[in-house]
Amino acid sequence: MNVISKELTAQVVDPVRLAIIATGLQSIPDLIEADLMRTAFSPLVYEYKDYAVGMVDAEGRSIALATNGLPLFLTNLIGLAVRDGLAIYGADNIEEGDVLLTNHAATIGQHLNNVVMYTPIFGPSGKLLAFMSLIVHWIDIGGSYPGSASGTDMTELAQEGLQLRTVKLYKRGKPVEEIFRIIENNTRLPEMLLGDIAAQYAGCVKGKQLFEQLIARHGEDFLLTAISAMWSKAEQAAKAAVLAVPDGVYEMTSFLDDDGVDIGKRIPIHVKVEVRGSDFIVDFSGVGDQLRGPFNSGYYGGGEVCARSAFRYLFTPNEPANEGCFAPVKMILPPGKFLSAGPNAPMGRYSTPLATVVDTIVGAMAKALPDRVAAGHHGALDAYGFNGKHPATGKFFNYFDTAHGGWGGSSHGDGVGPYKSLLHGDNKDIPVETQESLYPVRVEHFGWREDSAGPGRHRGGLGIDKSYRVLAPCNSFIGFERHYCPPWGLNGGLSGTPAFVEIESKGERRKVLKQSRIPLQPGDMVHVHSGAGGGFGSPLERDAKAVQLDVARGYVSRAQASDVYGVVLSADGSIDDAETRALRNKKIEKS
Amino acid sequence: MTIYVAVDTGGTFTDLVSFNASNGEVRYTKSLTTHHNPIDGIVNCFEKAEVTLKDATLFKHGTTLVINTLLERAGPTVALVTTKGFRDVLEFARGNRTALFDLFYKRDPVLVPRELRFEISERVAGSGEILQKPDREEVQKIAELLKERKVAAVAISFINSYLEPENERQVAAWLREMLPDCYVTAGTELSREWYEYERTATAAANAYSGPKIGGYVASLGDVLAKRGFSGQFLLMGSNGGVLSAPHAASAPVLLVESGPVGGCIGAGVYGQALGIRNIIAFDMGGTTAKCALVRDGEFAVESLYHVGGYGRGTPVRAPVIDIVEVGTGGGSIAWFDEQRRIHVGPKSAGSSPGPVCYGKGGTEPTVTDANLVLGRLNPQRFQGGEMGLNADAAKSAIVERLARPLGYVGENGSVEVASGIISIALVQMGEAIKRVTVQRGEDPRDYVLFAYGGGGPLHSVELARELAIPLVVIPPEAGNFSAIGMLVANIRRDTSRTFVQRLNPESLERVEAEFVVLENSLKESIRQDFGDVKVEFDRAAQMRYVGQQHTVKVTIQSLDSELLRQTFMDTYKARYGHAIANAEVEIVSVHSTVQVETARPNLAKLAGKQAANSVPQPTTRLIFFAEKNAFVTAKVFSRDSLPVGFSSGGPCVIEEYGSTTVVGPADTFEVGTLGEIRITVGMLNAGVRQ
Repeated sequence: MNVISKELTAQVVDPVRLAIIATGLQSIPDLIEADLMRTAFSPLVYEYKDYAVGMVDAEGRSIALATNGLPLFLTNLIGLAVRDGLAIYGADNIEEGDVLLTNHAATIGQHLNNVVMYTPIFGPSGKLLAFMSLIVHWIDIGGSYPGSASGTDMTELAQEGLQLRTVKLYKRGKPVEEIFRIIENNTRLPEMLLGDIAAQYAGCVKGKQLFEQLIARHGEDFLLTAISAMWSKAEQAAKAAVLAVPDGVYEMTSFLDDDGVDIGKRIPIHVKVEVRGSDFIVDFSGVGDQLRGPFNSGYYGGGEVCARSAFRYLFTPNEPANEGCFAPVKMILPPGKFLSAGPNAPMGRYSTPLATVVDTIVGAMAKALPDRVAAGHHGALDAYGFNGKHPATGKFFNYFDTAHGGWGGSSHGDGVGPYKSLLHGDNKDIPVETQESLYPVRVEHFGWREDSAGPGRHRGGLGIDKSYRVLAPCNSFIGFERHYCPPWGLNGGLSGTPAFVEIESKGERRKVLKQSRIPLQPGDMVHVHSGAGGGFGSPLERDAKAVQLDVARGYVSRAQASDVYGVVLSADGSIDDAETRALRNKKIEKS
Repeated sequence: MTIYVAVDTGGTFTDLVSFNASNGEVRYTKSLTTHHNPIDGIVNCFEKAEVTLKDATLFKHGTTLVINTLLERAGPTVALVTTKGFRDVLEFARGNRTALFDLFYKRDPVLVPRELRFEISERVAGSGEILQKPDREEVQKIAELLKERKVAAVAISFINSYLEPENERQVAAWLREMLPDCYVTAGTELSREWYEYERTATAAANAYSGPKIGGYVASLGDVLAKRGFSGQFLLMGSNGGVLSAPHAASAPVLLVESGPVGGCIGAGVYGQALGIRNIIAFDMGGTTAKCALVRDGEFAVESLYHVGGYGRGTPVRAPVIDIVEVGTGGGSIAWFDEQRRIHVGPKSAGSSPGPVCYGKGGTEPTVTDANLVLGRLNPQRFQGGEMGLNADAAKSAIVERLARPLGYVGENGSVEVASGIISIALVQMGEAIKRVTVQRGEDPRDYVLFAYGGGGPLHSVELARELAIPLVVIPPEAGNFSAIGMLVANIRRDTSRTFVQRLNPESLERVEAEFVVLENSLKESIRQDFGDVKVEFDRAAQMRYVGQQHTVKVTIQSLDSELLRQTFMDTYKARYGHAIANAEVEIVSVHSTVQVETARPNLAKLAGKQAANSVPQPTTRLIFFAEKNAFVTAKVFSRDSLPVGFSSGGPCVIEEYGSTTVVGPADTFEVGTLGEIRITVGMLNAGVRQ
């Protein structure tokens, strides 16, 4: 056995074996995740990676989560689902080969499309050890709008689809035909959905087998001990990261445009973050109340997701997600807020506000962690799409995408991008060539939005202009946010230009932010303008050479260069040093 | 006389192997790679090995020049000409971030900055119809600007050109005429698959590396000619086949993985000769370990590659052998974090300063240092004794940096930690092998582990045990195996087109017609380079269920709708464990491959001088074996003393120039007919030690 000094005898697991087991455990969801992405039918799975793959122990505590899933699942939704299953059936009635599922909004706190499927894993002794689970965005589970979750004006959960609270899809390895019949007959796209369910089921089974191999390798007792050790290490790491930050209370306020129903009624987001010892306490008492429209989420599926995501951006970007790593995160979140909505609140577009909430928590910490934050990013989900009958095939088509835009400048440099929101990750934009091949649209322009970046010593990332010409009669769907609360600047940086959409018909343009059904005729255009990031530091302090290059590249106009940055360029594009100095001094005096 | 020569210019060494078909003589040599001008290193090899090039009929060459030019951004000023409205596609990329919680995540710098990206009025519709033809005067104006900006190369990439390349072809022809000194490349000359960003990036990467590679190939051709060479000069493509020098100069992106593929080809050819159908080719070098599957001599070829890795790199649409790489190599550094969790890699000491034991300034313990402390490497025979290793320095680094702070005390502490470093490295490499097997629906136990590279043979038996693989094969000259692979590589070209079709008998007629077009163009390009030679075509298609995004590659035996559907379902089920009985199936792209055999040496003779049929006289030394948790007296063989048919039980090590094979106490080995070492792995179900 290992020769371990007294000081460490309390530490049961040898670091080498711990590293071996941790690598083995993490590889299970990572292997399954790649399979799921490749076999899924829903673009929300294969493009948006709107899924999670993970394992929890017999009590629902998180063991490992796939590295590449969306931050939306950082909260232990699998654990919530499993605990509901244990409460309903009792551990004794969950058997080998059972596969359970739930999308119960009161348990999960996200839209009904997010369905958790899980299967138990037993050790050689017959003891229940763990659950293998996949959460997948189901492409359509009924409700009043195609895709179930797309309507921006829903006011009841029941409008958003079928709710399945903790049912067995398989019993001892055999499919429960009744449940399959219910699902098949409550969706607009039964073939696709059953295809996705097959992929989800295959992932549960394969993941379970891989976990069983690990049990055979290490023994069940030792494996459980190692898992506990992993948790405590992750907890120590997370706490140490918070302890290094001075205690204090940090606040920030932002807001959302509206909930799609009460148009123009702003939704306040006031967050107060307290760092106390190793605790990171996020107080959401100042966020808006539960909304009439579908932008609500639950205490765990909404509030906790935001607090945990912000925590990882700020403190532990490289720690694997398990039961221990969020130990410092505490929340004050009274019930009845839009981040802690009740069981029947509409939640179809639950994810739209969350990136702004995370952005606000990050922004609040600017004073405490100046090098780990950035100015505001473009901010929301910014979804848009087209649907209708394709003239070539006569079949219904439904195209859906989200805009990508600029992120905020920081002490490290200019804002990055174009990316989707803070709550996205490895999610790819759909190529224009794919869009034009599959849908009756033509993209006429897809380029940087000049002068959109929030000016600053380090400017924000630019937004994008993308113009579609519609080639057949169809409907457009627009779900934009963060238009009235532009991406903020930091340390004297200015805000970025916000996002919006314009519909152009017969030579007239009108602005649209949220609308579910916009009828369009051939020749009409949809201009999507994505938001830009906020700037960092005063634009008057930006290196004149950087401004000159921005002008040469067409990121910044000559007018903005002189008006905002105070940089004067000669006709040949060179910097007029004397004029620039004079103009900058004048501007500094004025302010 | 007929001599075949292969030279692989790697990151550290340039390897040469030559084979004289008249008398069976084989020569191997190595020389340091000369980065300022890689041709010097090649010439050094010629001189060291005394190769007479006037007797050579075939010269094959693998080079890292393309990948290095792209990675180091060492190319010239390059411009891009694209469709009006789309000049920023190259800079946007796909909007994804691979580092999930990083507010500052950035991709590698764009190859063509915005001020050098030009738009012209032209358009092809999503149906393939030309909506607007390019205008010569507009192109002429851009040509003037390009001259003014002293652009060395220009890439052309238009929206939807994958369907109809005519506009690109026209503009390329005009620009070649208007700018005779400029390197001109059009996206559709390289790829006919959809996705504008990937195709534009491919054109940009080709333009970026083109001038340099063109110059290099020409200079090397001159050097060869001056030394009397009048045979065929071929370059190693990343698809596992060789291509002509002019082809390489016009499409350097085909060479991005020119070096590493050599080993995979070699593994495939040896496997076929040895009657081994399923192989995991495993290569461990200084900074990474790489693995790939070879089945019946065939390896999977992917049509998308990322220069500098998926995380931040530039995509290139070019056929590349499907290799999975993990950041675990001999130079990988072992360290622990604040929570005392041990990690191995991905940071590497590389070859400079290198592991602590190299004595070149390295201070952090590495996998190689751990091997040395455990007696698995011979400090006097590393690189054939050209480089002495300092075992004491390795040991004290492990004690100071890891063992003592982690509480492993006493004489045994450094050994515990060194053994732990190896175990962690093995698990990481095992995960890479799982990614090419388990994740592709394969069971590693059905495969033979074929190990080469400096570190492959050192860890292969334990890796096989970890994955319950029963047989390990170490080819001859394991440390120089890439060059051998090149020597046996065929001429090969891959081409593909996006061609979305529902699967039914009518659409298959169109698919057949498309294949004929592809095959005719391949045949013609082969004829131009090599004259009338015997060609063999293979057909494959990327297929999926209607509604899916991702595809599986299906080999096409015959274009029968039912049969093809069944093959798709079988392939899908094998890979993912389930298939959907009634769902509709579609073809997304068609792939055609042509191969032409090149003269190939006799593999049995490649093993070099046959050892005399006398009994080898091993020495012994103490080597730590984890399964015994102790140092055990092990036999030490010199590989060149082992005759064909020789066999022995472990524990032992077999040393040769450039690599060391470790055989455990429960394993046995035998020298096979081609000079390969075959190791039967014992204790298959031993699992991890307690």
